Amino acid sequence: MIRIDGIHKAFAGRPAVRHLDLEVQRGEIFGLLGHNGAGKSTTIGMLLGQVWPDGGTLRIGGHDVFADRARALSRVGAIFEAPVFYDYLSGWRNLQILSAYTAPTADARIREVVDWVGLTGREQSLVRTYSHGMRARLALAQALLPRPELLILDEPTNGLDPEGIHEMRHTILRLHRELGLTILLSSHLLVEVEQLCSRIAVMHRGEKVFDGTVSEARSGTLWVRLGTDDFAAATATLTAAGLIAGHDRESRVELAPNTTPAELARHLVQHGHALHELTPERQTLEGFYLSLVRSRATAPAVAAASSES
Amino acid sequence: MFLNQFKHELWKLFGKKRTYIGFGAFLLAQNVIILMFRFSNATGGMRRALEGGGYPVTEFLTSITIATQVVIPIAYLLLPLYGALIGGDLVAKEAEDGTLRMILSRPISRLRLLTLKWLAGALFSIVLSLSLGLFGWAFASLWFPQGGLFATQLGEGPGFTLFTPGDGLRHYLLAHVVLCSKAITVMGMAFVFSCFNMKPAAATVLALSFLFANFVLMNIPWFQEYRTWFITHHLNAWQWVFLQPIPWSRMTESLSLLLGFNVTFFVIGATAFQVRDIKS
Repeated sequence: MIRIDGIHKAFAGRPAVRHLDLEVQRGEIFGLLGHNGAGKSTTIGMLLGQVWPDGGTLRIGGHDVFADRARALSRVGAIFEAPVFYDYLSGWRNLQILSAYTAPTADARIREVVDWVGLTGREQSLVRTYSHGMRARLALAQALLPRPELLILDEPTNGLDPEGIHEMRHTILRLHRELGLTILLSSHLLVEVEQLCSRIAVMHRGEKVFDGTVSEARSGTLWVRLGTDDFAAATATLTAAGLIAGHDRESRVELAPNTTPAELARHLVQHGHALHELTPERQTLEGFYLSLVRSRATAPAVAAASSES
Repeated sequence: MFLNQFKHELWKLFGKKRTYIGFGAFLLAQNVIILMFRFSNATGGMRRALEGGGYPVTEFLTSITIATQVVIPIAYLLLPLYGALIGGDLVAKEAEDGTLRMILSRPISRLRLLTLKWLAGALFSIVLSLSLGLFGWAFASLWFPQGGLFATQLGEGPGFTLFTPGDGLRHYLLAHVVLCSKAITVMGMAFVFSCFNMKPAAATVLALSFLFANFVLMNIPWFQEYRTWFITHHLNAWQWVFLQPIPWSRMTESLSLLLGFNVTFFVIGATAFQVRDIKS
């Protein structure tokens, strides 16, 4: 559905996206993860033809976004964070205006979408009277009007209250299930991505640092929660034995490859540590993401240091 | 499809309250000026000119004469200000608000979008210019009788021209048709800046600054020889409708130049808009 080949983009000489390759299959919910400034929104901007890439190609449904914009975007809906509308007009008028940029849209279709997103009864009210949640529904309605095959969601839950976030997640799953849409979800909310997406790509400083399924991301290193009298001494012992790859400041250690929790327990007891808790923890997407990003964080510093010397 | 999109573009423009606040400001200004003519000695100069030439004052100190006098400050000050405000808003305000990003996630081309916006701005300018003429005449009719037209020869020397009632009305209406070219050009000038990555207010100020610089330079005595080089000279073509006979060749030349300016402005704006990145 989406194919991105080697796109790169710099703003005033500062790279925002570096030689990104990405493929999103038809019918999947694909998560684009990354900190603020990682390059997600720039990538989406290029995908929608709003930001010009310095190089590379972007295709939607086989059509080049820049050479054949009309076809590439004809079945695409997009929602951006904090959706904005013409506040001085009604929700209905906003939908008429926005849908006209794709194709003439019958009132019956607008009615159908308004009902689907649950705005019935408020569609003739001015948008300035809408709550955040209603704006989110209106944003969804405008995205659904052209009967999209691909839905691009850029931080769709930003600014929503917990109930609104829950509702948006439920709606995304409903869209996927009932309408069979391909969804590209950009977010820095790991829980959101973990709950919704089947595949993810992680971006960091403009680069893609991971591309795979959520279960692949989770199947990496294993963390164990340790309860000892002296956590610092215990981790020192385990590090010296090469049984752990790292630890946090409180009570969690990351197992080294091919090490089991049982080996850890045995080694600690043999070395005289009092052990009163040992709980293996399932790798979360959050843990995976943070370890990935932290491991990359030192790279530019090293590069900078070497260039200074 | 184009007409449908154009209709919605007009909805966006005419749906704003501030559009009507601007209209209201114009109508208020017109009424204030008309009342000043009615209840002060502001018509003294016209009376003396008419009496000096042996013309009957009552036949020419009429609603159409006062309406024509009202157009002068409106055309010099308020119209450029308001035209620049509208033009400056057309693209930059949507970019600032974030609605432009929403529009450009749709398959519409940037050139088509700009064309729609420019046309909406041009139609607005036409409606504004013509309605100003009609309201000005209507308000003046409340306080002054109908009759002939006494028109000062603005920028052409100290003389004046007299028209019979029917002729006066025709010249008055034609002046407003030509005034549309000024409103459109000023709007188009602000529209160009609006296409660049800047705030709407900045686009408006830049357009007004450009106009002001032209106006000042054009009026420096040493530059009189080069008056025709300045856009403000051509923007004043509407005044020549009140000359007798109307200098058609000069007016055609100016209107052609304004057309050229508008095309150039649009091409510059479209080029800038085409290559710019639209970000949140």
